[in-house]
Amino acid sequence: MVETGHFALVLAFALSLVQMLVPLVGARTGNQRLMAVGGPVTVTGFALTALSFTALASAYAGSDFSVANVWENSHSLQPMIYKITGTWGNHEGSMLLWVLILTFFGALVAVFGNNLPATLKANVLAVQGMIGAAFFLFILTTSNPFIRLNPAPVEGRDLNPVLQDLGLAIHPPLLYLGYVGFSVCFSFSVAALIEGRIDASWARWVRPWTLVAWMFLTGGIAMGSYWAYYELGWGGFWFWDPVENASFMPWLAGTALLHSATVMEKRSALKIWTLLLAILTFSLSLLGTFLVRSGVLTSVHAFATDPARGVFILCILTLFIGGSLALFALRASSLTAGGLFHPISREGALVLNNLFLTTATATVLVGTLYPLALEALTGGKISVGAPFFDLTFGPLMLPLLAIVPFGPLLAWKRGDVIAASQRLMAAFALAIAAMLVTGLFIDGGSVFAALGVGLAVWLIAGALTDLAVKSGAGSVAPAVMLRRFAGLPRSVFGTALAHLGLGLTLLGIVGTLCFGSEKILTMRPGETVELSGHTLRFEGLFPQKGPNFTEDRARFLLIGADGNANGEISSAKRFFQARQMATTESGIRTLGLSQLYLSLGDEGNDGSVVVRLWWKPLVTLIWGGALVMMAGAAMSLADRRLRVGAPARRRKPAAALTSPT
Amino acid sequence: MLFWVIAAILTLGASLAVLLPLTGGMKGASAPGDHDLEVYRDQLSELDRDVARGLIQPGEAEEARAEIGRRILRLGAAERPASASASSSRGIRLVASLAVLAVPLLSWGLYGVLGSPDLPSQPLAERLAKNPADSSVDELVARAEAHLAANPSDGKGWDVLAPIYLRLQRFPDAITAYRNAIRLDGDSAVRQAGLGEAIASAAGGIVSADAQNAFEAALKLDPANAKANFYLAVGLAQEGRKDEAVAAWQKMLGQLPLDSPWRSAVQQALAEAGPPAVAASGPDAQQMEAAQQMSPQDRQAMIETMVAGLDDKLKQNPRDEEGWMRLIRSYAVLGKPDQAREALGRAVAAFGADSEQAKKFTAFAASLGVTATE
Repeated sequence: MVETGHFALVLAFALSLVQMLVPLVGARTGNQRLMAVGGPVTVTGFALTALSFTALASAYAGSDFSVANVWENSHSLQPMIYKITGTWGNHEGSMLLWVLILTFFGALVAVFGNNLPATLKANVLAVQGMIGAAFFLFILTTSNPFIRLNPAPVEGRDLNPVLQDLGLAIHPPLLYLGYVGFSVCFSFSVAALIEGRIDASWARWVRPWTLVAWMFLTGGIAMGSYWAYYELGWGGFWFWDPVENASFMPWLAGTALLHSATVMEKRSALKIWTLLLAILTFSLSLLGTFLVRSGVLTSVHAFATDPARGVFILCILTLFIGGSLALFALRASSLTAGGLFHPISREGALVLNNLFLTTATATVLVGTLYPLALEALTGGKISVGAPFFDLTFGPLMLPLLAIVPFGPLLAWKRGDVIAASQRLMAAFALAIAAMLVTGLFIDGGSVFAALGVGLAVWLIAGALTDLAVKSGAGSVAPAVMLRRFAGLPRSVFGTALAHLGLGLTLLGIVGTLCFGSEKILTMRPGETVELSGHTLRFEGLFPQKGPNFTEDRARFLLIGADGNANGEISSAKRFFQARQMATTESGIRTLGLSQLYLSLGDEGNDGSVVVRLWWKPLVTLIWGGALVMMAGAAMSLADRRLRVGAPARRRKPAAALTSPT
Repeated sequence: MLFWVIAAILTLGASLAVLLPLTGGMKGASAPGDHDLEVYRDQLSELDRDVARGLIQPGEAEEARAEIGRRILRLGAAERPASASASSSRGIRLVASLAVLAVPLLSWGLYGVLGSPDLPSQPLAERLAKNPADSSVDELVARAEAHLAANPSDGKGWDVLAPIYLRLQRFPDAITAYRNAIRLDGDSAVRQAGLGEAIASAAGGIVSADAQNAFEAALKLDPANAKANFYLAVGLAQEGRKDEAVAAWQKMLGQLPLDSPWRSAVQQALAEAGPPAVAASGPDAQQMEAAQQMSPQDRQAMIETMVAGLDDKLKQNPRDEEGWMRLIRSYAVLGKPDQAREALGRAVAAFGADSEQAKKFTAFAASLGVTATE
């Protein structure tokens, strides 16, 4: 089974070479048969990759330590779920997951792409084949998960304890679905550049892919943030860590792409810019993939340990980013620009959005890569952290968030700011009221807190106003309004939900940062501590044994106002024998939208333990908002109106206008 | 064999995926313009809906309609001539045949380099299920571990596993196993002595206080336990109380039955104790044997050469914790306190005065009667 998987992977590589060359030649020469090869080859390539991945996963599930990769990252005593998730909890396996998703998306294009012009489809599949071939070759030559050991060791080295968590089951697959989803947008862009023309329906074909990728990336980032929040035990939800920035950059660029693609789809404007954004977004995804797993960041060290891998990664990055940008430079001038619009219009607002988002992306990119470049050139080590991003990223986001509610209310081509402002009066009043209440009545309220809460309320109310206005609130009878509301296109709901989610996330961030409180103290069993109106009693440390670890679990009882216990929080320090590593399991209790967060420090000799306790008001909104954003994307995706119909070539083969002249 | 059949079927499937479209019939092609026209029509109807919803002013909508109309007109004009000869020229036939050939050649060639086709899968369950007689010791241990993971209160299991761990030099596991056996099946001299040996071995042969306690517990249950007696004497020697150690060993020789396996160990220890002692780690068996056949002077010379060799090795590679402890002990045992002190100084310097290791060295040396020079 293992060797079958290995063989399937090699075969998939061979097919990806065919996929990248034959349809391309077919499209250049106009040969239908060569172009037709793309579809079946892509689908077969996906089936083989899936077989290969299944073989590796089953080796993990069966603790087959004759596979070096399994031996390095698994242990026979691990619970089954972590055995399986361990498949992608390491560099080699995660690369295999990456190509699995890549070939899956390629197969989707092949199967559902019948409405694409033949040459465009052939070129898109060829570009997907190029990406696939590069990754297959990378896996086979430098990161092969199927290398065998003979004789097989009896016991594995265990999965990194930090990764033995449900988060590993969800976070990387979501993130990769996001990263790789953008590869389809990239392939469409490069295909358009190869052909030298952008079909009118290009934006419509790209739109669902952008939405899918953006949706999964949003989920992946949110999940990653929550995972870091509860697993690392530091109580933070975002650290501006290079690895986090790596996924955030494609998200920012992808958000810009989502908006510019709307303009392109509706108004055929911003064509060239959208192509460029698609290329940039996927380039950042590639960078992100390698930053996380393979340490381009810690490149100095990674290259020393495995020069072949590092050089290969650099080659892939240079080839795809440099190659596509060069192609863009060569061909962009020959592409026709699209529709016209006034500066103040929906299009104008979206251009402004793009401007802010791309600048923000550049800021994050600089903050992430500058320390690296500096280290590589001068050897000096600096760390660029939250202060840098607060000073650069923050000021860019403020005006962007402030204009978000205006966008959906402006008309296409020529908008009326005054009219839009009048419609937003209620939302504005609500935001001001929220600011005043925060600033004047809530303890710990600062200017920043008031501003943040006001902005969040402004976003939420603005999103709701958009829906109300479009249903005709104020001008028609309630019954009519309800009917109109139900009849609104789903993409309108999608926009409103996504903007609403943004507001919720912002509210969560502001709430946690400004109104949270924190205590660090030493507690003995029986002692109580009070934080922001919640009383906790420390019951003691209890040793326990898990399947592949031992732990000291500290139990705390939440004491209500009446003196009775109404709930328990427990936090633990785990020790994993196989890796000789300790982890901290934080204790979290959700109360409404807020959370009480508890993490253990060092133990004293007398049964006392250092306890770090946080009160995090509204913190769940951070991730809840991301879920709402995902729902918005899903809603937008479900908008049938914007699907592309295949030209009815059989019913009316030659419509008057298209007959060759 | 099965693998090659599967591989052949997979290759066949992949080749067919390339071959079939190349030989298939030509579908009626649609000109790219058809797609564009479809979109422009859609845009026109969408414009009407937007006007109805008030998303665009009627004047602008008129303009937009004109824009789309112009695009439709341009579409007709830019229509490309029917694509170049679809007939298969020689070049295209070449590409096609290359593609079909490339799949099997490339995959079998590459797999031949990378793969290990003869190696079957070995899931853990399968390895554990096979006949115990065919299993390696490691596998038997793994099987016992799996059994104990399921039944952690099987004292007999721990009792069986503990000495095996000891022999496999998995000392921490041996300690746990002995402790579990003692906890579940009660004290016995053999178990306590084994625990002591495991603790001592885990510490690189040093009989620590913990180990000493275990040996003493064993002697309480069985005063004649050879292992406990032997190691307690080793501990005495390590503390520098060589005379007492020699006395203990000599007493053992008097008591041990003639066929006891411990006799040779005790004799060896005695031979080394006059003056050198302890062989927990150091010279290999061959050297030991050679040493036994030498005259006392030669033996002394050989031991000194070996110690000097160790000293040299540590000069080149000073981060060898166990090596330093052996060196300090050797000098102490050879009756060269100055050199022992000097070795301690170098050991501490090698790891830094504040390091864990430095503390360990100092404590260890103190137990041998060597104190650091200040």
